[in-house]
Amino acid sequence: MNDFSELEAELKKLRPRAASPELATRIERALAEAPTATPSAGVLPKHRKFRVNWFGLGLGLAAAAALLLLARVNVERPGKRQSVVAMTPVPFAPPIPASDAFVPAGLTQVVYNTRDEGLHFPEGADQPVRRVRTQKRETLQWRNPGTGTSLRVSYPSEEVTLIPVSGQ
Amino acid sequence: MENVVTHEDWKVCFSELAPGLVLFARQFARTSADAEDIVQDAFVRFWRKEHSIENRALLFATVRSVALDLLRRDARRARREANASLEMEQSTLPQFDFDDGSQQELAAAVDLLPVEQREVLVMKIWNELTFAEIGQALGISQNTAASRYRYALVALKKNFVAHE
Repeated sequence: MNDFSELEAELKKLRPRAASPELATRIERALAEAPTATPSAGVLPKHRKFRVNWFGLGLGLAAAAALLLLARVNVERPGKRQSVVAMTPVPFAPPIPASDAFVPAGLTQVVYNTRDEGLHFPEGADQPVRRVRTQKRETLQWRNPGTGTSLRVSYPSEEVTLIPVSGQ
Repeated sequence: MENVVTHEDWKVCFSELAPGLVLFARQFARTSADAEDIVQDAFVRFWRKEHSIENRALLFATVRSVALDLLRRDARRARREANASLEMEQSTLPQFDFDDGSQQELAAAVDLLPVEQREVLVMKIWNELTFAEIGQALGISQNTAASRYRYALVALKKNFVAHE
């Protein structure tokens, strides 16, 4: 307890006068009214009108155009470089009658880029390896002996080869 | 922005807070009627903005802000009020209900305190705000709030004992 505990107790005995019953009624009425009708310390509420925000509209249109452009660029981009395993295509099996079955007729691999990426030290390996990245295009061909039609699927692929390097 | 809480809810909250709020508003207003106008305006603003009723610091800050606005307007029309001052004095009611004469003297001693001490005292004693809440409501540190409270008690003790 402090030096003023008695005084504080005396002060607490003083009871603030109750608010008049009309006050609650007035507040109830004010809350029921539209917010703009509330008296607000002499500041008149602004009348809000619908206005076209040209800046916002322009910004929105520019953003939409940029999105469309990006989407187009993404569509036109070449396939992402991936490892050979990941690039292996799902076997193409068109639903055709057994009599018209296609049979594999050939596989062509055209290497159009080979890059030596230098020595690497893979985790857990005893010796360094040379990493060679090969980019090629593979073409698979099927032929239908019955009808004479052929089907060709071509796709780019990338292969990474790790060649062990012996020490001196 | 209409409050989602029903009117019955605000009535419960208001009935508990009203005497303390009106007393606080009276520290800035000359009459009970003005104090009630302040509380009405502040409470309606506060409730419409859907603030939590637990945020008493903000509620008292709103009351104070409305009261200070009223004081500024009053200053502009001081001349008119000077003419009506006698009438206003007659319509002014005491801030407290008294049981005996000593309470009346204590209330009179409270009236003599500087307003910055009185507002802290009113929030602390009759509204049970913490010093942190008082500091938040007045825009001062809680240490300043505590020291103003202590100054108020020192002054009251001095004046009240002198009158006893």
